Amino acid sequence: MKVVVSRLADFPPGERRIVKAGARSIGVFRVEDEFFAIRNRCPHQGGPLCQGRLSPWAVASGPGQVRMEGPPRLVACPWHGWEYDLETGQSFMGPGETRVKAYEVAVERGDRLGEDARPGDARAPVPAAARAAGREPGPYVAETFSVYVEEDYVVVDV
Amino acid sequence: MTPDAAAARPRDAIDCDLHCAPASMDVLLPYLDDYWRSYIDDATIRLGDLSYPAGAATSGGPAPAAYEDLAPLLDRDATRAAVLSCVVLDGVHRNPHYAAAVATAINDWLRDAWLARDPRLRAGIVVSTLDVPSAVQEIERLADDPRFVQVLLPVRSDVPYGNRLYHPLYAAAERNGLRIALHAWGRAGAAPSTTGIAPTYLEDYLSNVHIAEVQLLSLVAEGVFATFPELAVVFAECGFTWLPSLLWRFDKDWKGVWREVPWVSDRPSAVVRRHVRLTTAPAQLPRSPTEVAEVLEMVGPEMLLYASDAPHDHGTSGGALLRDLGAAGVEAILRGNAEAFYRRSVA
Amino acid sequence: MTRTEVDARGRRADVARAVTLVDCDIHPVMLPAEQQRRLTTRWARHLERYGRRAPHVTDLYPRPRNKGMRADSWPEGGVPGSDYDLLRAQLLDEHDVDFGILLCLNAQDSGYDPPGFAADLNRALNDWLVEEWLDRDDRLRASICVPHDHPDLAVAEIERRAEDDRFVQVLFPAGGQEPFGAARYQPVYEAAAAHGLPVAFHTGGYTGHRGTGWPSFYLEEHTSYGVVMQMVLTSLVCSGMFARVPSLKVVLTEGGALWAAALRWRLDEAWARLRDETPELERPPSEYIDDHVWYDTQPMEEPDDPAHFMAVVEQARMADRLMFATDYPHWDFDSPAQALPRGIPKGLRAKVTHATACDLYGLPRERHDS
Repeated sequence: MKVVVSRLADFPPGERRIVKAGARSIGVFRVEDEFFAIRNRCPHQGGPLCQGRLSPWAVASGPGQVRMEGPPRLVACPWHGWEYDLETGQSFMGPGETRVKAYEVAVERGDRLGEDARPGDARAPVPAAARAAGREPGPYVAETFSVYVEEDYVVVDV
Repeated sequence: MTPDAAAARPRDAIDCDLHCAPASMDVLLPYLDDYWRSYIDDATIRLGDLSYPAGAATSGGPAPAAYEDLAPLLDRDATRAAVLSCVVLDGVHRNPHYAAAVATAINDWLRDAWLARDPRLRAGIVVSTLDVPSAVQEIERLADDPRFVQVLLPVRSDVPYGNRLYHPLYAAAERNGLRIALHAWGRAGAAPSTTGIAPTYLEDYLSNVHIAEVQLLSLVAEGVFATFPELAVVFAECGFTWLPSLLWRFDKDWKGVWREVPWVSDRPSAVVRRHVRLTTAPAQLPRSPTEVAEVLEMVGPEMLLYASDAPHDHGTSGGALLRDLGAAGVEAILRGNAEAFYRRSVA
Repeated sequence: MTRTEVDARGRRADVARAVTLVDCDIHPVMLPAEQQRRLTTRWARHLERYGRRAPHVTDLYPRPRNKGMRADSWPEGGVPGSDYDLLRAQLLDEHDVDFGILLCLNAQDSGYDPPGFAADLNRALNDWLVEEWLDRDDRLRASICVPHDHPDLAVAEIERRAEDDRFVQVLFPAGGQEPFGAARYQPVYEAAAAHGLPVAFHTGGYTGHRGTGWPSFYLEEHTSYGVVMQMVLTSLVCSGMFARVPSLKVVLTEGGALWAAALRWRLDEAWARLRDETPELERPPSEYIDDHVWYDTQPMEEPDDPAHFMAVVEQARMADRLMFATDYPHWDFDSPAQALPRGIPKGLRAKVTHATACDLYGLPRERHDS
């Protein structure tokens, strides 16, 4: 199902839109010239994820020595602040938890996600900035959607 | 010692915390120079502090003052190795030069009166944190002596142990293959009350746990282990059953506020499991064997280093610790974990 | 839970419905102007000219995430918790809260204010709670704020409010001028107990960071909320306060709860060896704890293995003592719909979500829409 979000010209960089697709609420983000879509529901306790603050990775070479790296592609849930990568929906809170309190992931693969991604494949490549920050993927993954620009409209494929 | 505690003594263990103490300051005088001997003679100086009142059952009696007092216990239990904690420097003094001088004297006494007498003995290097450069100097002075396996610090401090002011001390420990031991007590007047004085010994005694918890948070949050990846810390005589619930809390909070400390790039519980251990006395365990098994599973037996904590006697639950573990778990806690933990040979 | 039924003419029929959710920790915020205009002239002028002397905890350890609040809880032109309508919509109505206990943290005295000022600040605050909250919504209950470090004044404020049974407990911070087992606080506990009011200790106040020195980061501060509660409880037990005030009930709020298992064990073991120092403690400490202490769930610990949650609740003997709280509107808010671990037995869920709080606070088990 394709949901038209807005005209491209009406969706400047740095902004976001929340759209409904049936019962689901979806946040569509424009970061510079890329679009991302993510379910507007935090896997942790159901908070309105897409209302959250966008930040880049903060990478530390040591205590007190921090630089911000990359574009602002992490969204922080407005409740507990848990963060998710807009592109993959991946959280980065460490591997190895014995039980996952997350819901099932349906990741639509678009041309954004890297060559080794497959349809239905729940493991996404680790972004370079996350690797720089020393982070491992965690068990929470937010649901993402493919966003296309057709003619002059921004469309999300739900 | 209570009969139950006596029955629970394991054999052939690596004992990671037991005590010795000079009978008085006179014992240390030969190890001090003219100036300090004169200062001590003229001043209201005394050794020891309020940590182990003579009449408190948990004190268990005075710490052995001479090797001859300890040897029978080592032989009785066929102790494989024992790491001495001499905590008499703990106290309320503020003069950093005095503290550094007495620390040096204690370490020299430990070598002469203990380490030289028995190849089973190891020790923690006693330093004062009132002046970190002096502490670093003392660590470097003794670093070539393989019988010192750790740097002994009191768990109670004026500044939390993750703070950058201690980092040169950790650097010295790390480059010399020494561990850090944070041992219960420290400064009287550093109880976690608004005045620093606990109204009862009972409350003060229990406070070691609370202080250890806060120190653990500091070590991780300040990035000590990120900065010193080869460093490891043992909490001695601070209990361990408090660990699981603190780590659950720590991990959850980190997930939300990690940006305040982005050098903590791994879950705090993972950092702690890689870099921290805890001794087994006081055990502070429940009565029910089922619950003992539960809490040991939550803590993880790999986290524990056996300690008699002689002469202290915290109660009977320590006996439960080993009773229901399988042979592998017992071996790990009595010997294997210590061998893995100490970078220097302990046995 | 059934909704109110509507009869043929559209009038609401009075329908009784079972209570299913009590939120034991909600934070309304009193704006400074609101407090100022309720103070006596002398103290209003004092506040206006000199402000408050004690630093605010949010300045000591700035909350680095979403300014310490749920980012979606900011009312138009206001601060989270200051707007009844938003709180009602976002919390009470959204989550079908049957009863909500208010704990106002931002406007009491610090423990270090001049006594008259301290008394007036709390009086104004309690007046505001009545007028702006309790009178507006019969689902709400409140905590009496008192100048806790001035026992006479605190007792007077308790006496002033006790007849309004919408005040269901007395509020203390987690740190005061002395440890909370100290004798100076006993008259306050006795007054609360005499009126059947639990004393709730809530995270906050000034604990002085003795024993370790000052941490650097909010992460440490927040994580040690549970440690501070361990200190509060240790002080209350070891001082003999529960022995001296047998009807005292205590609620530990916003410190989490699962640490209590290990605390009970270590207190019992230490007492067994050292009990001659504290002869007033005639029974093991865990028995006093089991008789006198309740815990709020928030911030809910989340063990990797959810089975550990239940195991520790059992170890701590707290199945009948645990009460759900959201901590709305703070950033670490626990959602009533989601926060309790899956797999909690139904009976325990009922206790945690409402039954235990109803018993403790004397709340009815059924509500009638009026």
